[in-house]
Amino acid sequence: MLSRAARPALKAGAAASSRAVAAPSTTATFATLREIEGRLKSIRNIEKITKTMKIVASTKLTRAQRSMQESRKYGQTSNEVYNSAETKSIEGEGKKKLVVVCSSDKGLCGGIHSGLSRYIRRQTDTFDIVIIGEKCRSQLVRTNAKDIVLNFAGAGKDVPTFAEAQAIADQIVQLPGDYTEVEIVYNKFINATSYEPSTIAAFSEDAFLSSPNYSAFEVEEDVLPNLREYGLANSLYWALSEGHACEISARRNAMDNASKNAGEMIGKYQILYNRTRQAAITGELVEIITGAIASEDM
Amino acid sequence: MTFAWKQAGLTYNRYLAVAARAVRRSLKDDKRLIAERRGESDLRFAKWTNGKQGEVINLADANAAAAVTKANAPAS
Repeated sequence: MLSRAARPALKAGAAASSRAVAAPSTTATFATLREIEGRLKSIRNIEKITKTMKIVASTKLTRAQRSMQESRKYGQTSNEVYNSAETKSIEGEGKKKLVVVCSSDKGLCGGIHSGLSRYIRRQTDTFDIVIIGEKCRSQLVRTNAKDIVLNFAGAGKDVPTFAEAQAIADQIVQLPGDYTEVEIVYNKFINATSYEPSTIAAFSEDAFLSSPNYSAFEVEEDVLPNLREYGLANSLYWALSEGHACEISARRNAMDNASKNAGEMIGKYQILYNRTRQAAITGELVEIITGAIASEDM
Repeated sequence: MTFAWKQAGLTYNRYLAVAARAVRRSLKDDKRLIAERRGESDLRFAKWTNGKQGEVINLADANAAAAVTKANAPAS
């Protein structure tokens, strides 16, 4: 009898103690359940965004690549005259070098902008810098602020046009200070996943005048400044187009990876969410059953 | 060889840009609209002195202004 009488009390006690232990844990699981749900939702949204950006980049890519191929041909043809004249940059004292960095305003495309910045920082000689695009500006301000003479913004929203390259070249030409050498740094498109910072040289009149094969061209000297300006615009157009194609392709890859990672995370969180939910349900069931048994016995 | 546009203070690129704009404007309507989109740009730029960024200016305006000031200056 005693045992019978004692049992409900015992059970009630056990139930009470288990509830006392379980109560904070159930509220905790409910909270985490909601938390996990929230996190899952936000990851889903991020995946949607990255997927859309990837699709946008993919559609832009073909156009950018076509423009890159055309502009590359164009730039190479324009540089043909320097090749056949065997123009070399002037070495020696008193040379002033200008480096034009072709990046763009937008990020979310992997490390292509920082690749350019790193390339600039690696150079040991001194030179002045012209920066196209906000991304490289904000990176190079920290290390090379003293060397910057000009910066451009608003380029690279769409496929670069020759008018843009011309306007930029026009402004660069008007810079005070006679630069003996202009170098354009851009991302060279190797294949869809790899790029490499490389340079195109734009020569000054003096460099062209002193090139070994200069006599082969029967040109008057006063047209040479025109050639220099035009050559600079051509090379800039080439660099901008190729840089743009690299950026779009890099963005496509970056967004592809981001969507993949988001997909993985969604899978993990979904499993975690289901497990926690089941655990919570099991916990509740245990409570209900123990409660029911306890009251049955009374 | 001297060029009229050079005496007027234009650079070669500016000269080309003006010529290109004239050609684009004289196209027929359907082609003109597509072509004129290629001529647009909203580039801005800023000059830097001693590691400080100067005022941000619209590039097209600045280029036009530079051509005007050069044209007004006595031709050398």
